[in-house]
Amino acid sequence: MWARWIAPVLLGLVSFSFVTAKSSTGNSVLVILEPRLDKDNFSKFFSGLEEKGFELTFRSPKDPKPAVLEYDYAQFSHVVLFAPETKSFAADITPQSLVSLLSKNTNLLIAVGPKSTPISTLASEFSLVLPPPGTPLISHFPARSEPATVIPVPVSPSNIFTSASFAPVWFSGVPFAYQSNPLVVPILNAPAESFASDADADSGADALVEAAEKGGEGLWAGSQLGLVAGFQTLNGARATWVGGVELFSDEFFQKELPGGGKPGNQQFASDVAAWTFQENNVLRVDKVEHHRVNETLPGKTYTTNDQIVFTAHISKYNPDIASWEPYSDLTDLQLEFTMLDPHIRTALPPVRGTPGAYSVTFRAPDRHGVFKFVVDYKRKGFTHLHSSTVVPLVPPRHDGYPRFLSAAWPYYVGAISTSVAFVLFSALWLAGDDRVPGGKKTSKTE
Amino acid sequence: MHFLSTCLLSLLAISNVYAASLTLQSPRFTISSPDATQLRSEPLSTTKKPSPLVLGAKDVLKLTFQVVEEEGKGVQPHQTFLRFYDEVSGEEGIQPVRVTTGGKAKFELNMAKPPASLPPTTSTDPLKVTLIIGSFTHDPFKVDLFDLFLPASQPAPQHPDEPSFHSLPEIHHTFRADPKLPPKFISAAFAGLVLAPWVVLLGLWGAIRPTVPHLFSPNILPFLATLSAFEGLLFWYWVDLKLGQVLLYGGILTVPTLVAGKQALSTMGKWRTGRK
Repeated sequence: MWARWIAPVLLGLVSFSFVTAKSSTGNSVLVILEPRLDKDNFSKFFSGLEEKGFELTFRSPKDPKPAVLEYDYAQFSHVVLFAPETKSFAADITPQSLVSLLSKNTNLLIAVGPKSTPISTLASEFSLVLPPPGTPLISHFPARSEPATVIPVPVSPSNIFTSASFAPVWFSGVPFAYQSNPLVVPILNAPAESFASDADADSGADALVEAAEKGGEGLWAGSQLGLVAGFQTLNGARATWVGGVELFSDEFFQKELPGGGKPGNQQFASDVAAWTFQENNVLRVDKVEHHRVNETLPGKTYTTNDQIVFTAHISKYNPDIASWEPYSDLTDLQLEFTMLDPHIRTALPPVRGTPGAYSVTFRAPDRHGVFKFVVDYKRKGFTHLHSSTVVPLVPPRHDGYPRFLSAAWPYYVGAISTSVAFVLFSALWLAGDDRVPGGKKTSKTE
Repeated sequence: MHFLSTCLLSLLAISNVYAASLTLQSPRFTISSPDATQLRSEPLSTTKKPSPLVLGAKDVLKLTFQVVEEEGKGVQPHQTFLRFYDEVSGEEGIQPVRVTTGGKAKFELNMAKPPASLPPTTSTDPLKVTLIIGSFTHDPFKVDLFDLFLPASQPAPQHPDEPSFHSLPEIHHTFRADPKLPPKFISAAFAGLVLAPWVVLLGLWGAIRPTVPHLFSPNILPFLATLSAFEGLLFWYWVDLKLGQVLLYGGILTVPTLVAGKQALSTMGKWRTGRK
């Protein structure tokens, strides 16, 4: 009889060992590659993704199938859009459909180029401003044999990368100017000496000065420009905009740096894909508990001035084992106890001994009402954590007030005296004998 | 012929890397106050930075230099930028400098009308000013010119949501103070005052010296016990019980009390009529 269970169990085990989704949201990737770009030019990048366990499906921008959205459902977990010069796409790829993909928790990796396409106009919705069409990023530093549009860019450390330091990466494309938006996560900034220009000879110098004096966006220059910019949406999806698709090409993976040595393109591309596809820095709130100090079960209501213990359990996705692990390294988690406005905001420190648990004990305010325990954690590079638990806070019941106050001692003494006196009197009356010995006539007749 | 031109072309391409390098000739800066008196005027050296420059709110800084090749020929490079960089806050501003075809450059910074490319400054941190010169035909060239202290500006505008991406300040609730109680010794004193009639009562009882001969009679004692139990139940209600419980226990206690009471009072009645 138990032999019937062997086959499904074995099948389950076998399939588990083959399918390990590295990303927390799935492993199906649609790569939209424009026909001008040859898939073999990016073979190292794509084979790196396949080795990690992603399933890649390739199509060109004009192919109607496979569609990214079908009947309003996202068909893939991630979409890579390497089509910087395509001006017309199939009907399922529009700026609106890309935004709706993000709201369905599909991650995007989009490469733009110096040409202006419908997709590059979407970049401004992400607070990334592109320079005028036809002005790629150029830099004369360092002196090298490649043309000025192919630039080695030093990588500054960030919590997005898995390794601590990188060799400079080769880049060729357009820079973004950032508008102020806290959801933008800068991944790679331009070198300080670079700028966007369409010149190829020194005679373009005057045009540069006039562009700066024009005002407005003027001149795209300096290290405040971004080359690879990530964007963390409020519902958890990530979109990364890359200023040029050659960053991912085999040629750039191998090209030697001016100072000698291999560039960091391969590791950089792999880390950018890992962050974009929600492998790294993905957090979630597992569960949230609250109870009074000396109890374990949550109360249906709490009373004002109660001591309440709040515990949050937080996990981080570990791509190496493809599962969620408790994570205790958040140092600045905060809890807010709010009714319309936060009444209490305290730090939520990790609990030593219990991985992933963060706990705090606090005194409930003395205003009654409907309160919420709010954990709202947003940091650049990490998914946003939101948790909100509603709990009523009631004033004390008629017997919840302090009793036996020192001011009432006279009253206690009086009442107890009355009881004692009654007992003594009834003892005397019941048990006493009011006869006068000798049979004299008594005065009472009771 | 074709072969020769391609040879030359490739030579030119190679020679790009080993092209002549550029340098500055007679770089000089001048700080003047709004009424055109010169506050400071010094030549700049490409190897050593001068002492930090300080500009007031209306002063004017003029920078002049000429970009030359090694042989002394003036050159107009493609990129002549001044980079203002605040190391502490990371703010940066890039300002192109207009260079003539002969390589002469003049830059004027009037603090009364500052250019839009100037980054936000604080009054305590200097801006590091770097001159960046890049060209398609020459090697690039970068030189740290000087440190510049500018008057403090408005800080860079912040997105309204930006503070929620960092730790917010802690909020502590101010609780109402506990209700105040009078000092305990006053309460004790008045409690003692309440006990004063007992002194009188015990004194008078001491004078009368009543006796309780029937206290342990089986007719009287149960009634006394149940009456004491009622007083005890009242005390227990005050300390611990709820209304329903005390009514229940009181109801249960009523039955033996009635029985014992009837017994006790009828016995007392018999004694009185019997002895009359």
